Amino acid sequence: MNFMGKDRELILVYSSMDSVRDMRDINVMVTPQFYTLKKEALPVKYAYQAKRVAPAIFDGLLEDSSEYEYMVFRDGEEDEWTLIAYNLNTIRVFLLSKGFVIDKISKLFFAQQVVEMFDRPVAIGDSEALVSLEGSVVVVPSIALSEDEKPSKIFDSSFAPKRGVGIKNASANSIISTKQSVILSMIFIAFAIMFFVEGARYGSSSQAELKIAELYEAYPSLESSYTRDSIIKKYKTIDKTERRKRDIIKKISIMIFDGVSLASLNIDLNGFKANIVCKDAKVSKRVKALAKKDGFKSLQIANSNDILIEGSL
Amino acid sequence: MNWKNYQNELVVLFAFLVMFSGYIYKNNTIADEATTAIETQKTLSDMKEVIALKKLWTDKKTSQRVKQLKSIVSVSKVKWSNKRKKIKASYRGLSARELNSLVTKILNLPVEITLLNIQDISKSYSVEFQCKW
Repeated sequence: MNFMGKDRELILVYSSMDSVRDMRDINVMVTPQFYTLKKEALPVKYAYQAKRVAPAIFDGLLEDSSEYEYMVFRDGEEDEWTLIAYNLNTIRVFLLSKGFVIDKISKLFFAQQVVEMFDRPVAIGDSEALVSLEGSVVVVPSIALSEDEKPSKIFDSSFAPKRGVGIKNASANSIISTKQSVILSMIFIAFAIMFFVEGARYGSSSQAELKIAELYEAYPSLESSYTRDSIIKKYKTIDKTERRKRDIIKKISIMIFDGVSLASLNIDLNGFKANIVCKDAKVSKRVKALAKKDGFKSLQIANSNDILIEGSL
Repeated sequence: MNWKNYQNELVVLFAFLVMFSGYIYKNNTIADEATTAIETQKTLSDMKEVIALKKLWTDKKTSQRVKQLKSIVSVSKVKWSNKRKKIKASYRGLSARELNSLVTKILNLPVEITLLNIQDISKSYSVEFQCKW
């Protein structure tokens, strides 16, 4: 299995070539017919700096420089750079016209990248050859070559340099360009990180949970909700009933004012009953009103002003 | 269909799905947190209530305080019976003032009143009182 594409078949692409058939995974190398070459001494240290100034160097040499891309590499000597301008779309169109399947092409190389390999002419078609002249790979008519310079070198995979250009046009059918996809993806990922961080922050323990943990430590028996519910049920019932009893006593004591006396008061587990003696009908009426206000049932005892107040707990 | 032709869209779609997962994760965490906060608050208030109720109704000093009911009026007026955490007390010949202070004392004790019977017998009061704690 070949993951790196290094051992793929290398095909030399030139303008007069025949159409190809039976496409396998390949690499291609193009002749100077498909690129423009310049050699310049540039006061830069890195390739990306040289690449940045490449459009300026080719200014005026190319038809529409905006469609061109550039490959740069050092030319052996200090400050000497080889710059190659190529139109990937033109190359792609040519390859398609010759029956190449773009997706099967892993890398695109330039003959200039391996200038030393063309020390002997390499035939391209019947009438032309590729040869290195003064450090540049050029296409020459075979007829111009002397007898001892006739093409003798066979082009094969050993011509493949280390670096190549990806030729597959991933965004050919895309609605969005690679640049747009990178920007959008970065925005989405930034939001994703924000959401995850925010989510993780919400997941941390709250003050109430810490307080509960403290209470559990102090009262381990209350850790079970069943125990808590059972205790609450038991004591709430007691609390409610006992508060009611005390409330009744307080309310009845309020009814004992001038002209009123308590004959009896009985409170047990089921309810209460109070017998209140009133000196006249007016007082009796007032006591009844108070009882009604407090929600107690009141009865006037026959032939007297006395009031019987009763109720449940 | 050649997926490689739509590599850009797939990359964006993947990034979008990651963002969407993050959004769902955040929303779920917030929702969980809200539910947990409600549950936690309920547990906390339950626990505080349990602790407060237990403290009130199972106070160990209640036994001591209940004994004061025996000495609140003169001994001759009281019949006292104390079994474990239950008492039966019978008061006779109480003045209105004595009745008031007895009832006030009873009301302030954290005990379950099982019986309180006050009778006015010719301007002096008799009280039957039973409680447990």
